[in-house]
Amino acid sequence: MKKLLALIMALALVLGLAACGQPAGNESQAPEGGTSQQPDEPQGEEPQGGATGDFLVGAIYINGQNDTAGYTYQHHKGITAAMEELGLDPATQLLIVDNVPEDLTQVSNAIDQLANQGANIIFGISFGYIDAMAQKAEEYPDIVFCHGTGYLGNETNFVNYFGRIYQARYLTGIAAGLKSLELGNNNLGYVAAYNTEYAETCSGINAFTLGAQSVNPDVVVHVNQIDTWGDETLERQAAEALVDTYDCCVIAQHCDSAQPQLVAADREVFGCGYNSDMTAQAPTAHLTAAIWNWDVFYKTAMETAMSCGAAGDFVGALGTNAYYAGLAEGLVDISPLSENCAENTQAIIDAVRELIVSGDWDVFSGVKLSYDVAEDGTVTINQTEAPLVTNDGTEIVAAGGESVTDSVIKSEMNYNVEGVIAH
Amino acid sequence: MKRKEPLFRVVKREGGSPVRLALSYVVAVVLALCIGALLLAMQGVPVMQFYQDMFTMGMVGSRYPFRVLEGFIRLFVPLLITSMALSLAFRMRFWNIGGEGQFIMGAICAGIAAFQLGNTLPQPVMLLVIAACGILGGGAYGLIVAALKVRFGTNETLLTLMLNYIALYLLEFLGETKADWNFMLSEQSARPVFAQFPEAADMILFTIGPFQLNLSLIIALVLCVLVFVYLKYTKQGYEIAVVGDSPNTAHYAGIKVGRVVIRTIFLSAALIGLAGAFYVSSAGTLSTSVTNDVGWTGIVVAWLAKLNTVGILIVSLLITVLQYGCQAAGTAYPSIDANFADMLQGIILFVVLAADFFIRFRVVIRGKEAVK
Repeated sequence: MKKLLALIMALALVLGLAACGQPAGNESQAPEGGTSQQPDEPQGEEPQGGATGDFLVGAIYINGQNDTAGYTYQHHKGITAAMEELGLDPATQLLIVDNVPEDLTQVSNAIDQLANQGANIIFGISFGYIDAMAQKAEEYPDIVFCHGTGYLGNETNFVNYFGRIYQARYLTGIAAGLKSLELGNNNLGYVAAYNTEYAETCSGINAFTLGAQSVNPDVVVHVNQIDTWGDETLERQAAEALVDTYDCCVIAQHCDSAQPQLVAADREVFGCGYNSDMTAQAPTAHLTAAIWNWDVFYKTAMETAMSCGAAGDFVGALGTNAYYAGLAEGLVDISPLSENCAENTQAIIDAVRELIVSGDWDVFSGVKLSYDVAEDGTVTINQTEAPLVTNDGTEIVAAGGESVTDSVIKSEMNYNVEGVIAH
Repeated sequence: MKRKEPLFRVVKREGGSPVRLALSYVVAVVLALCIGALLLAMQGVPVMQFYQDMFTMGMVGSRYPFRVLEGFIRLFVPLLITSMALSLAFRMRFWNIGGEGQFIMGAICAGIAAFQLGNTLPQPVMLLVIAACGILGGGAYGLIVAALKVRFGTNETLLTLMLNYIALYLLEFLGETKADWNFMLSEQSARPVFAQFPEAADMILFTIGPFQLNLSLIIALVLCVLVFVYLKYTKQGYEIAVVGDSPNTAHYAGIKVGRVVIRTIFLSAALIGLAGAFYVSSAGTLSTSVTNDVGWTGIVVAWLAKLNTVGILIVSLLITVLQYGCQAAGTAYPSIDANFADMLQGIILFVVLAADFFIRFRVVIRGKEAVK
């Protein structure tokens, strides 16, 4: 019985501690916008009215906020850059919960923490946060919720966002294709996290292949799949196999680290990176990388949230609950071409970029591009009607047909185009 | 030849009152927090503010304190039940480090029941079915190891460890494989993601003003009392202690050791499976990181608490406050990420274990004391 009594007393003690945690004479100053210390202040319940001073940004990351490379790093960089552009101070106005696994309870808890501390807008960057974000968007109608790579949204305060990275991949494909022409080797390699399991990965592989084929119709792309988004050892081994076994002369990648580019440098072949400009890591091998400029979205979202009045008007002010931007908006791009690129690469890529930005043509349509380069370096784009065909012979888009829809590119594409060899 | 006396040697202390023991643990925790404070100060984080936010989990004067408390309970209950269940096995000196696997199997079985039965049963009945499935799923997974140990003398440490990974990869397989047979995944999503449970399978919440009390907390506290009584006052509890002290003594005393091992391990694993079932029912869905590492943290809790049921209640409460509170307190500081909570937890564990060592032993330096 003594122990039972002790148990009850211990509980009372702990609960007492929790209840009377107000500090007496707390001299240290918390950063503005930390756990709010003024219970009377109804933070964020009123429209923000464009005031930047008390606007709080919440972020939920899948990896560490202090990472120096990779997926979380790219988003963190985007969020802080956007805040600085808008005159918000990341040191005091950004609340982060990091290393949050894709588990509903843990994501919900993270959201509760951010909401509790007064966040006005919450970004969740990983796909598996989807259900927690959707549920909490209903629970907290006065907070804006933005979910990266997802597909859910509502009519008031909840949007998803992603980008047309396939457009950038098409451009890197052109650089790779021109290099293969120069080298006289039609084998390109691609280290892929996944392939047809995810629309995100297979649309990238397809776009890269189509880009390369537009300059070198005989090119084939060998895809080596590692079944994880990032594992430096596997990425390295996959790239080595592509060079050693399949004689690939350019290694592209859809995985986290720069290992495939380092292999390309070791083996004296070339490569196209992903996520960030990898010329720094592999100066003798790297051509150009497909990159994300997440700050473009984050800036738009924060600006809209600050100016739209109430969180419930966010979707209306943004104009969509499925933000999907590409080269035209600058959300995706390619890194500056390195000196390793073949002749005329810049001119052709510039011409194609202009065409894509104009909106007259897109990658997965029934029109194929080819190019004539005049003596003076001016590029003429030839548009030929040709069907979009998978590598098992199924016709997806008829010759001259419209591009496949955005929803297919974002979430349903599960085939490889002609010229892709999946190993 | 006379052997030279070593430079220092470790001598067991006699006696030691429980008050002194408790006091030294408190001192150890305070010392660990001081080390943490030093690290915080080095990074320019206001220490008092941080610790205040940590121990109150950011609830004081905030917008939605009750939401935070509810989230805390969802993390606390699985850790409490798992630690308690592990202590049953550890008291018998059966090294069950398969808490992760048993938790996952309980969660999977509960998930199968939730998806298959849908809304056919009323919520209380459905929850009983889910709890039973969790108990059987986790229990059966533990039973495999116990049976192999009793029958063939296999090493339970290795087996429980390896079965963890089998369970984890089974869960990942279920969560990432789109197929006609896979009823666990959401049909709307092109990308594989677990579907939501039907509403009848969600944990019962009692609304008390702005606060929603999770039924699983009440059950966990009742289980605490039951386990305490079971270990302290029943014949079966006594048998566990005897088998733990010496299987041979138990054997000669007429205890059927094999039966005790199998019964206790089933109970231990079944409780962990139940924790898994409660967790997924509270979330209303499965996930591939469903355990939140309770199978590992539970081992730490059980040992820090000296396998004492009351101690487990206190330690699991403190560890959850530490983990969840550190998350709450750290959001506003760029240098404080999730790793800091892990590190602080590690420091506390280390210091407490060191304190434990110096309570039970003392170091004698050469020449300072005559050898008896």
